[in-house]
Amino acid sequence: MAINVLEKRALMGAIAFVAVSLGLIAYATWGLGINVPTCIPLQTKPFDQASVTKHDDKFYEVHYIARMWAFEPSVLRVPTGSTLDIYAVTKDVTHGLEIAGTNINLMVVPGAIANGRVHFTKPGIYTIVCHEFCGKGHQNMTARIEVSDSVTDAEVEGLPSSAGMKLLEAKGCLACHTVDGSASVGPTFKGAWGSTVQLSDGTSHPLDVALFEQIVRHPTTTTVKDYPPVMPELPVTDDELKQIESYLEGLQK
Amino acid sequence: MELQKSIKTIVLIELLLPLVLFIFGAYHGVMQVLYQSGVVRANSVAGIDYYQGLTAHGVINALVLTTMFAVALGYVVVCQQLKSRVSAAGGWVSLGLMVVGAVLAAAMIFAGKATVLYTFYPPLMAHPIFYIGLVLFVVGSWVPMWTWIPVYMQWRKANPGQKTPLGVVGIFSAFIIWQMATLPVAIEVLVQLIPWSMGWTAGVNVMLSRTLFWFFGHPLVYFWLMPTYVMYYTMLPKLGGGKLFSDFAGRFSFMSFILLSCPLGLHHQFADPGISTSWKGIQGVLTLLIVIPSMLTAFTLAASLEHGARLKGGIGLFGWWKKLPFFNADVWLFPYLFCGLVIFIFGGITGVVNASYSMNNVIHNTAWVPAHFHLTVGGPIFLGILGGSLLMITGLLKKPVAAPKLAMLVPYLWTIGVFIFSTGFFIGGLRGEPRRTNLGMTYLNPASPSYRPDWFISTHLGMIGGCIMGLAALLYFVVVVRSLLAKTDASLANTIFALPVSEPYHDEDVPAVRNFAPWVVVAVLLCAAAYYVPIHDILVNGSANAPGFSPNSPAAVDTVH
Repeated sequence: MAINVLEKRALMGAIAFVAVSLGLIAYATWGLGINVPTCIPLQTKPFDQASVTKHDDKFYEVHYIARMWAFEPSVLRVPTGSTLDIYAVTKDVTHGLEIAGTNINLMVVPGAIANGRVHFTKPGIYTIVCHEFCGKGHQNMTARIEVSDSVTDAEVEGLPSSAGMKLLEAKGCLACHTVDGSASVGPTFKGAWGSTVQLSDGTSHPLDVALFEQIVRHPTTTTVKDYPPVMPELPVTDDELKQIESYLEGLQK
Repeated sequence: MELQKSIKTIVLIELLLPLVLFIFGAYHGVMQVLYQSGVVRANSVAGIDYYQGLTAHGVINALVLTTMFAVALGYVVVCQQLKSRVSAAGGWVSLGLMVVGAVLAAAMIFAGKATVLYTFYPPLMAHPIFYIGLVLFVVGSWVPMWTWIPVYMQWRKANPGQKTPLGVVGIFSAFIIWQMATLPVAIEVLVQLIPWSMGWTAGVNVMLSRTLFWFFGHPLVYFWLMPTYVMYYTMLPKLGGGKLFSDFAGRFSFMSFILLSCPLGLHHQFADPGISTSWKGIQGVLTLLIVIPSMLTAFTLAASLEHGARLKGGIGLFGWWKKLPFFNADVWLFPYLFCGLVIFIFGGITGVVNASYSMNNVIHNTAWVPAHFHLTVGGPIFLGILGGSLLMITGLLKKPVAAPKLAMLVPYLWTIGVFIFSTGFFIGGLRGEPRRTNLGMTYLNPASPSYRPDWFISTHLGMIGGCIMGLAALLYFVVVVRSLLAKTDASLANTIFALPVSEPYHDEDVPAVRNFAPWVVVAVLLCAAAYYVPIHDILVNGSANAPGFSPNSPAAVDTVH
């Protein structure tokens, strides 16, 4: 091939650039041990409960559930120096799980398990961001990991524990209402029971059994001021409603 | 020779229609940076939801505008450089399918039935008409090449031993890539998504559809680039006053794109589960090889510009730069191509970052990604489309370019805007700011518990840059509308419109870049080798017949009507 000598040099330069880049990538992968998520064979069914398991001192396995539009656990506190093996599955659409400021950056895809390992050397509050569009509440989908010297073992919030909480989860309420006071599509449940609620029709009532049932049974006609009228009518038995009510009653500020 | 009349009409529609749609595309570009920075704190403005507008911004700007321009430029280049007539019937069928497809998809987006972004990942589900519109649009874009092939075969027969004109090599490379790339996405849409969105099947294998999408998604970005590359290689040297430094470099680059477009889409899925690290790695290596033709292109174009500048008396190691027509309104097209090239240096380098395997952990799906691709599709590609459209619209209508000085300044203003925008988004991305998220509602809202003050500077730089880009787009529309309203130029009435074509300076005949066939065969084999195992694994391991979801509610749905 009779190509120009300058052109040949440009080609050589480009090949050298690629070679150096590949060398650096190889070093990052095998030398520094920074890798991307791999395939976890799905012989076992994906887990359907969020959990934190202690394997060793400051070494935890955390199972995250991603759903429209929240993570469970929503708050996780671990001591400084902890290593977390993170596994995540989704209950609905594809989500992202990024722990800002770390190398954890995962896609949480239906039918597969996302996995990564993170080591927290510095104390601080680390934001977990859903970075894949997952519906109109996408910007609300966040959680946090608090790393500090003041805790000696892992603590969690936002895990289903009581019957009422399990129902809130099963009926899909938690997609739009939080239990930790943070903002979402609908008003938070935290501290809501007994508080005065302004309705769209201009009236105000304390949130009691009567108003709560009115909202659940007729979500399109009874709506809270400043919130979009998007709540669906969910099939809930009277018994279930009582369990939810007693759970909400206990969920004070 | 003059373009045949029907093809001229088709080309004009294919240039003007996407520009009309682009008015909304640009409007929502500006709206997005306002939403994201919290300047506009709302779920929707003027009845258009943030994510709905984002879907339209992507579909209009990245699919309709780019594809229709590629077809239009293809017609002009093929007819002109092969000096042939092409099938007008084919042109009308193609145009009809693309217009109907684009209108159907746009109607569903504006009706709020397809807020799934332009990547339309399941299990978010759109109205079936959205997917059908996309299929019609893509099939419409296939037709032109099928009508060009017989014309090209005839030309080869009539001109034995002659090299195919370089522009034609570029156009055919673009549409060969398009043909290879759109097959997997056609399977995704026809086999998986349409039956599922009609309610005929219970669910989809989401990992399979993501993999088929990115089998298409990466070559898509090279398909966007090819028309601009054609303009770089065939027009820019002449606009700079010189010749193309090396004809071989152009052919080699175009052919390399055929080889290195498809078998590497997994680098968009580095963060995905369900795919082994070894195949991600292999496709990552293949991705980086594109650096070789890209750097050769950078060298060749710089050398071509130097040639032109030295002919005009430019001297010194760098002093010759001053002789290039940066601010010459007679050569208003020059800055559209030149600015694009400057932007592309940064787009290319940041693309290397994205493809660099574990480095993806830092930037995946963060604001870094739109920062990068606004320096590619929003830089050289977009400026090439603006400049090329204005050139062809005025040329074919025999009208002068109104306000050539303003036309000349648009790319500079755009460049300033896009650099500010991308700087902000790069910073934000490195700080973990997610892409395509209505940040103003939560992360950029001081009243929200999720407030992130460290994302303030980045989103506000993005907002300032985005507004400057919007202003540049507005000024461009002023030029187009004033040109359309201008009287036909009498002195142009009897001339024949022709795209500028640079002559080669070095014109070696390298047999390896004479024929498409061997490159296409190797490309197909590479695709098979790169994707056989990952797709096999996904089919075997991937369970989940995922039901559909509307973006409005967390409850699964059978259809979105």
